[in-house]
Amino acid sequence: MEPLLELLSDHTVRTVLTGSTIIGFVSGALGAFAYLRRQSMMGDVVSHAALLGIAAAFIVASLTLGSGHHTLALLLGASLAGVLSILFANLVVRHSRITMDGAMAVSLALFFGGGLTLMRIIQTGPFTQRAGLDTYIFGRAAAITRADLQVIAVFAAVALVFLVLNWKVFKLYSFDTVLSELVGYRARLVEPLLQATIVLAVVIGLKVVGLILMIAFVVAPASAARQWTRSLGAMVLLSGTFGALASIAGTLVSVLAGDVPTGPVIVLALTAIVAVSLLFAPHRGLVARALRRRRQRSELVREAHARGA
Amino acid sequence: MITTTLPCDAVCEARCLSVAYREALVLKDVDFSVPPGVIMAIVGPNGAGKSTLMKAMLGLIPTTNGSVRFFGRPFQEVRSRIGYIPQHASVDWDFPTTVFDAVLMGTYGSLGWFRRPGKHERQLSWAALEQTGMAHLARRQIGELSGGERQRTFLARALVQDADLYLMDEPLQGVDALSKHAILAVMRGLRQRGKTLVMVHHDPSTVRQLCDWVTLVNKGVVATGPVEDTFSESNVRRAYAHMPTEEWFGKATA
Amino acid sequence: MSFLLGVALLAVVTALACAIPGVYLLLRRDAMMTEAVSHAVLPGIVVGLLIAGDLDSPLLILAAALTGLLVVIGTEYLHNTGLLEGDAPLGLIFPALFSIGIILVSQRFSNVHLDEHVVLVGDLNLAAFIHLELAGLSLGPRYLYVMLAILLVNLAFIWRFYKELELTTFDPTLAELLGFRVRPLHYAFMFLVSVTITAAFYAAGSILSVALMIVPAATARLVTKRLVHLLALTAVIAVLGAVAGFAAAYALDAATSGMMAFSFGLIFVLVFAGERAWAALRPRRASRVG
Repeated sequence: MEPLLELLSDHTVRTVLTGSTIIGFVSGALGAFAYLRRQSMMGDVVSHAALLGIAAAFIVASLTLGSGHHTLALLLGASLAGVLSILFANLVVRHSRITMDGAMAVSLALFFGGGLTLMRIIQTGPFTQRAGLDTYIFGRAAAITRADLQVIAVFAAVALVFLVLNWKVFKLYSFDTVLSELVGYRARLVEPLLQATIVLAVVIGLKVVGLILMIAFVVAPASAARQWTRSLGAMVLLSGTFGALASIAGTLVSVLAGDVPTGPVIVLALTAIVAVSLLFAPHRGLVARALRRRRQRSELVREAHARGA
Repeated sequence: MITTTLPCDAVCEARCLSVAYREALVLKDVDFSVPPGVIMAIVGPNGAGKSTLMKAMLGLIPTTNGSVRFFGRPFQEVRSRIGYIPQHASVDWDFPTTVFDAVLMGTYGSLGWFRRPGKHERQLSWAALEQTGMAHLARRQIGELSGGERQRTFLARALVQDADLYLMDEPLQGVDALSKHAILAVMRGLRQRGKTLVMVHHDPSTVRQLCDWVTLVNKGVVATGPVEDTFSESNVRRAYAHMPTEEWFGKATA
Repeated sequence: MSFLLGVALLAVVTALACAIPGVYLLLRRDAMMTEAVSHAVLPGIVVGLLIAGDLDSPLLILAAALTGLLVVIGTEYLHNTGLLEGDAPLGLIFPALFSIGIILVSQRFSNVHLDEHVVLVGDLNLAAFIHLELAGLSLGPRYLYVMLAILLVNLAFIWRFYKELELTTFDPTLAELLGFRVRPLHYAFMFLVSVTITAAFYAAGSILSVALMIVPAATARLVTKRLVHLLALTAVIAVLGAVAGFAAAYALDAATSGMMAFSFGLIFVLVFAGERAWAALRPRRASRVG
């Protein structure tokens, strides 16, 4: 306990922890909506596509602002590329026989392939200070700076305001798409809003989790939270809390052990939370269900016997 | 319950069949038997478990209790004598295949793991397409068909199996008049040749006209037997009276 | 054989070996399964490397492919619990396995030669480095023959089970009722997919396997209506894309796998736009005639 307290009083560590807690909470909470939209893997496409945006923004920022390490520019670039990757996948589905999974795979190949190509150009080109870009691939919580923290806080605030404003629509839409359509919230209008939440959730989390594993942050906290509650409000709060807890765990390991990439540690923490939820959630949980099913079967057999006799 | 049992020569017989979806019992203690050479309708309100019953009979979904026998044997031993025509929403209609290829797939069962379809199988497929009035559409991609034409493709695919018992899940739903006519003609032809047909049917008003045997279902069997005795007003009213109480046992929403 | 020709051949053979089973994955709506498997094989590769000590050892490929199969079975299990929405099961399993792999790699607890970047993007040039020599004659990269063997196995499997794969993909219910053993066939096929992805991993990294497996089939799907045509055109596009991507990477001195993924994506976009334009023009022309 002693070294942990000492660690927490350290200024840099506090910055990193605050940052990753906010990130974990907001990404987890927004992930709940991506989860309810039933297209979780879109989070994977968006996070990979973000690399193209980050690389492009880095080049543009280097040329115009002098330094490529402009957190806001990078995140805006990532958001734009994420939105484009979703639009592309939807366009393909609407105008061809390709189903959504195939369209996602094509979008992923196109955007991530483009991103990797640009990254290579950055590496071989005349750009200075290109070292930090790699943190977006595998995630490194320890790399969060005060400047990052400000941008993250702004993004998180935007995301939360966005959520509160659209709460009623999202709630109705997630419950009952048809009813939502009937009372006037067209899927055509709600879908882009929900997609925007996915993009925000992904982009905010990139620095901590890294783009390859970001999908886990979109899916896992929501999957776990869903098992414990039926109310959307509780689910979103719980999802955010799970996200924050895992994020803190990953950050502590990253800070203490140094060389371990944060993303994988966070993902393993999230996986453990999901496993416990699936198994032991009251009523829905697998254990509770197996017990109930066994009871039911023996009752049916007993009834059948009684009738036979 | 009014039950007419023909235990020895029943084409198909269900005993104490119960099916649960998650914890909710969808069907409880279903008992009925189908004599050879009839067209039997399975009728009941929405959510009564009609399609579920058919899938459970074929072992496509797990049963909680009970058994089903075809020709006195379990399904696995007599599968080649049974044809199934699913609801037409159940396959991927964008699949890159022509009507002819789709019908040809019906012969794959008799070919087993090793043989490939040859001339004989092609002839069978053409004959089935002729019978259902689909021969002129044989080269179409299946996605370009209307609802009725899709249903006829399924019917042709089942015909090439040359089964003794056909199970059909709502063969007449969403079907145009021409297709309906073609499908009914094929069904009556099959009955004439001594085949047995069991169909899930959504429209109780046409049961008397189309079928000679009926099973009324609502979470269990309400009545089963020849249409003239069984399809009485009191029985129908009993089947349709209490609508399903379980919420649409679909997925729970958040 | 010159080094360059060797690498180019390796690119083409890898693309073909991946693209052909990809047709069935696309039709089964399992396209994103490729993404999942390509990440999930990592822990298998690391452990296999520890045991076998050699990247193209059959033992390593087997160990890794088994981890890939874990994703298939695990996803199916989670899906069947009915507790999770949509494709969430996929998004839960592969990050966990990949994380284990990355932690193993990052710890460098042995002299495992594999860094995070090779994992991500692979390296065709590296894979082509060790040449097979017979009686002093260079026969090209040794890895080329590994991929060639896998291509042949894939082709043989699809030729042998063409009928069964077609039926189980189009209508698994009918296949089940006709007495075909749908699940064993599915697992055998997915095992082959895992083997292919694992083998492609070293040459292509985890990113390229999605591009190689799915994009050629998706492109061919835009313009074909029969399964045989789809398979044939997929093979053609796989070769074209591999050559184009490799040539572009060579000319621009870019990363081969990134460039190849991107060029496959571009070919898709071109065909997609072309097909749309054609479809938009056709009715107008018809009305002019009429």
